[in-house]
Amino acid sequence: MNVRSAARVAAAAVPVAALSIAIPFVNRVQLHAFGVPFLPVWIVAWMLLTPLCLWVAHRLEVRT
Amino acid sequence: MTGGGVALTIVGLSIAAVTALGAAGARGLIMNPEAYILAGRSLGTLFTWLLMAGEIYTSFTFLGAAGWAYGKGAPAFYILCYGPVAYVISYFLLPPLWRVAKRYGLLTGPDFFAVRYRSRPLGVLVACVGVIFLVPYITLQLTGLQILLTIAGRGAFDATVGVGLAFVLTALFVFVAGLRGLAWASVVKDAAVLAAVAFAGIWLPCHIAGSPARLIHRVLAAHPGWMTLAPGGAALGTRWFVSTVLLTACGFWVWPQSAAAAYAARSDRVLQRNAILMPLYNILLVPALLAGFTALAVLPGLRGPGADQSFMLVIAQDYPAWVLGLVAAAGCLAALIPASAQLLGAASVLVKNVLGDWLGVATTDISRTAATRWLVAGTAALALWLWLHERTTLVNLLLVAYNGIAQFFPGVVAGLVWRRATAWGVAAGILSGLGVLAAGVIRQAAWGGLNAGFVALLVNLTVCVAVSLVTRPAPAEHLEAFAQAARTTPPQASAGTS
Repeated sequence: MNVRSAARVAAAAVPVAALSIAIPFVNRVQLHAFGVPFLPVWIVAWMLLTPLCLWVAHRLEVRT
Repeated sequence: MTGGGVALTIVGLSIAAVTALGAAGARGLIMNPEAYILAGRSLGTLFTWLLMAGEIYTSFTFLGAAGWAYGKGAPAFYILCYGPVAYVISYFLLPPLWRVAKRYGLLTGPDFFAVRYRSRPLGVLVACVGVIFLVPYITLQLTGLQILLTIAGRGAFDATVGVGLAFVLTALFVFVAGLRGLAWASVVKDAAVLAAVAFAGIWLPCHIAGSPARLIHRVLAAHPGWMTLAPGGAALGTRWFVSTVLLTACGFWVWPQSAAAAYAARSDRVLQRNAILMPLYNILLVPALLAGFTALAVLPGLRGPGADQSFMLVIAQDYPAWVLGLVAAAGCLAALIPASAQLLGAASVLVKNVLGDWLGVATTDISRTAATRWLVAGTAALALWLWLHERTTLVNLLLVAYNGIAQFFPGVVAGLVWRRATAWGVAAGILSGLGVLAAGVIRQAAWGGLNAGFVALLVNLTVCVAVSLVTRPAPAEHLEAFAQAARTTPPQASAGTS
């Protein structure tokens, strides 16, 4: 696996991790953002960031 | 006219109009199964988007998501998480799947198993298990319909009769329209659902509490900790949450009707673009959850399956009949259109893999299309029967269906990335996964707070690898050709990808 395709997999793995294995840790954060608890804010933020991460992965694709 | 009459008339007219639109979109009766089931593999980005979204945003979105936000709180957030994870998976999974389907002329999800593993019986097994777990998903749509019709009729109406009627109409719709008609009808449905959910999840909380954030304050004041998960292995705790998100994301693309939506794309690039854009569509689910929280602030005290009715009851209580009618009509379309796609998926799988490939009947185009139509009616009847005998919450129906269907995931992924995987391995994996599910249901086992389907998936994967290593794989030249097909974009597809 070269650097480019490794970066591609990493870019795609970030939102997956943020919305799955990161959740137990996010759940413990006591902050409020815009008056809303942190867990729903985090989840909605990553719903918006997922297309961005996939787009980065897409740009890194090695065209053959 | 009474209030219930006005609302029901609006619902009836909307369903009739969309059925007519779907039939017109199909441009007459088509007898070639590739055209009927897969719309001739001709759908561009927009239609593929609409079709996938049409099947994903169902009466579950409309009622079930709000019902869980109302009844359970933070665990309902899993509904927001699994979509993006599934789209990331689809970005890598669907393009090679599409290329293989194009090269080998695959029509159904089970076709992939039959061709990759050179095993017709494996195709039959996957077809049968797939249809078995599609039935509760179709039943979910029926339950949604029943809730909407009961509330829209303000109780003055036998909902069972209404659901029977609506389902006859759905089956008729599939008869006439096929997949292209469904994509057309989805346009109208999604616009209607978007408007209804925005009304219930944004306008309603603003009207009641001033803003969605203030509404959340009100909910938290009455129910502290409602937006925080229980820790670790507790019931519906963080461990359940993570395992359910991963399981559901794995199951997302291996439904019979999802395979059809992916195969129907015009090119592999279309599917990649879709994967990037679809998470944005997921935002639609946020107002659905807000609608549930709003109902909790206004109308607390509903229990069990009653929670699924929460925000519709708020609308019925506080708004005029025509508003209720429009929202209920959107909800009914959100049940009917996905149910149509699911029926078409189930029927085409049975016809192709069981009747055609295995039993050797229904082999001409005309008889296949006819058999598909009859099986649509048969599957609809089965779902109706399950609906009459099993009443539970919408999320429970969805989780049962996903637990089963996700067991196909190892076989699909291994089929693309691991040449050593064998038909025996995949079959043993699926059956052991289902065995774990059955044992969990019988013994009420908790599995340390993990979702039972996720545990089944891990067992499935282990058994699949172990059995594959001691059985003989398909011939090397077949696997080489298959891997080649998964890598290479066919020349005619790369030309037109606008």
